[in-house]
Amino acid sequence: MLNIGSFKTKTCSGIGRRSFLQMSGAIPFGLGMSGLGAVTADEVDDVVARAKSIVFVFLWGAPSHLDTCDPKPNANTEYRGPFGVIPTRTPGVHFTELLPKLAQRSDKYTLIRSHIQSAPGHPDGGTVALSGFEENPKPVKPNFGSIIARHRGFRGKLPPFFSIANGVVMDGGRRIEAYGGGEMGAVYDPFMVGASETGEVNIPALALMDDVNPLRISDRRTLLKKLDAVPRSLESAKFRDWNRTYQQAYGLITDPTARQAFDLTRESKQTRQRYGQSVFGQSALLARRLVEAEVPYIQLNYSRHVEAITPGFEFGWDTHLYNFSLLQDQHCPIFDRAFSAFLDDIYDRGLIDDTLIVCMGEFGRTPKINVRAARDHWPQCYFSMWAGAGLQTGRVIGASDKNGEHPITRPITPLMVGTTIAELAGVDSQARAEMRVLDGGRVIDELF
Amino acid sequence: MSYFRGRRRPSLACLASLVWLVCLSVMVVQAADPIRLTHDGRMKFTPVFVDGGESLTYVDFENPKVFRLRTMNWETKETKVIHEAAPAPEFDPAYSADGNYFSFLRATGGLQVSLVIRNRKSNEEVLIPPEPGFSGYRTPAIAPDSSHMLFSFANNFGQDIFRVEMNGQGRTALTGAKGINIWPSYSPDGKKVLFTSTRDGNYELYEMKPDGSDIKRLTDSPYQDIRGQYSPDGKQIAFVSHRDGNAEIYIANADGTELRRVTRHEERDDYPTWHPDGKHLVCVAERDGSHDLYLLPLSD
Repeated sequence: MLNIGSFKTKTCSGIGRRSFLQMSGAIPFGLGMSGLGAVTADEVDDVVARAKSIVFVFLWGAPSHLDTCDPKPNANTEYRGPFGVIPTRTPGVHFTELLPKLAQRSDKYTLIRSHIQSAPGHPDGGTVALSGFEENPKPVKPNFGSIIARHRGFRGKLPPFFSIANGVVMDGGRRIEAYGGGEMGAVYDPFMVGASETGEVNIPALALMDDVNPLRISDRRTLLKKLDAVPRSLESAKFRDWNRTYQQAYGLITDPTARQAFDLTRESKQTRQRYGQSVFGQSALLARRLVEAEVPYIQLNYSRHVEAITPGFEFGWDTHLYNFSLLQDQHCPIFDRAFSAFLDDIYDRGLIDDTLIVCMGEFGRTPKINVRAARDHWPQCYFSMWAGAGLQTGRVIGASDKNGEHPITRPITPLMVGTTIAELAGVDSQARAEMRVLDGGRVIDELF
Repeated sequence: MSYFRGRRRPSLACLASLVWLVCLSVMVVQAADPIRLTHDGRMKFTPVFVDGGESLTYVDFENPKVFRLRTMNWETKETKVIHEAAPAPEFDPAYSADGNYFSFLRATGGLQVSLVIRNRKSNEEVLIPPEPGFSGYRTPAIAPDSSHMLFSFANNFGQDIFRVEMNGQGRTALTGAKGINIWPSYSPDGKKVLFTSTRDGNYELYEMKPDGSDIKRLTDSPYQDIRGQYSPDGKQIAFVSHRDGNAEIYIANADGTELRRVTRHEERDDYPTWHPDGKHLVCVAERDGSHDLYLLPLSD
């Protein structure tokens, strides 16, 4: 790993820490974003985009819909789970007691309870959730964010598509195929950026040498000279990708205004506290800063991995075992606080009309409690939350049956999710046809 | 019978009286301001006093991939990781009152959680592996005389409390796999076990004899009542309830009567454990988005 710098940030707990910007040799294989100016917009914005920015909050691992936003308190004990229900601000709509803050903010988003999708596993389900299509037959279709990135192009100082996690989102050792550009090419992959629970920001695409402080970098030639030390043994095409990645990252850290988007220390202590001292909390705060910087598409991942309590992996929502304990101890308190703070911030700062927020997992979890008193994968029914871009809020669209097993209204698919996102981002049907993306997708009419 | 049992539809007068009683009790149960014991703000779980209060062991959510067992010297308040070289998440610590045994859980694979029982004098360990597939143990509790121990284990569509000898042999199911049965806690004399169960719908507190007989329900709330712990004299229980809108700590008599609220904060107060003096609780409190250990002085 090439290490070419570090800088100090003040953390939530007030302790100065070194934040490292690092780049590994593997970057070009998975994280290649084009160089500055290399991503060009497919077309001029003839269509008015209601959403300047889209934040796709990905609850990777798949939260149980019954234990969060679609409880079934009258189902029998084989299904209902151990949690009580609480009213939301939306008349007649209840959540479980694990999400009190989001229940109090149900007027700020619209809930969809009738999602379905086709793939039952994480890698394949993740690909469907993020692209609208199954991973086979190849080539893999692009992530929704890659479509927006291609449509908008690289116009500002920041890349058009960010994925916030401490690396490419993975299930075990396997990444989601649709994490990036897929058949459109690695040039439309997301630019990766991660945050620690104390607000240190990590940009894996960069490696800064120890004797270079990115807050004071001004001599491009010096830095380039240092980068010449990078092993040239990389395959030439991949090295070109890497070099473009470096150029873009270099642009980020040498441009003061671009760099500010990543500097969570510019936020007040109170603001950082509202999001909570958790990786997801500080990542959500980073997402809000990227919205303010007018980044077109931000995929905010709850965790890098799906696994819960598995050595070597970030703990995600895949709760085949001890679902109820993990939800009440960790996931729901973290999510409830951070996502509520994020919604509040986007509203309070007047960003909501120009920002689309979509929050969902790749599927739901079995309504019927499994043999280990937990819940397995369930792509037949799950939920999402939508806010912003002029969408009416405080509503529930769709419904599931008495046990939460199947929608009893028109099913909403990931392809419809992607098509709706694209439409609100100004990628209309003509543009989609010209780009040959989201083929056959329909907009979720009920949202409008 | 608990003060709250059978009162799902109280009259307004009863409700008003109830609220007043709860308010009164809140005013007397916490004697002074909480004392913050840690300052790192990371998520923490399940503190438990060790060796008569010489130290406190808890679970530190060190980073998004790791739970670590950490111990605090009670006199100096200095903390250290118990197993520096632990390659995997470790959590749910339990100690015997006589100091002879230490038990905890260790993740040994993908959603595979083993139970470790360690003799603290000989350092000999028994590791009870989970079953194949997604499987594992939770919430061990060791009998005061170290004669046996309990743990929760998910199987057959439920989660039962089991009893084993300290060598891991002789596994016996106690509660029947009806619903989720978890967080067993022995009374100081070892004659009763407090636990949480969903056998009647949602999480409520129950007591039973150590052989699983004579199960009695102690609480009745439409929201969670969980993680019960007997006081050192066995006369009271501390537990967590969401009955007032979020996770708060309550105390009641050991039979569930005379409920008193200890904490009152819009953020989370959770994982109570009694100090051996019986006059304090230690809990994990979320304040300003950070989680730390706090000492709660109680009034008489």
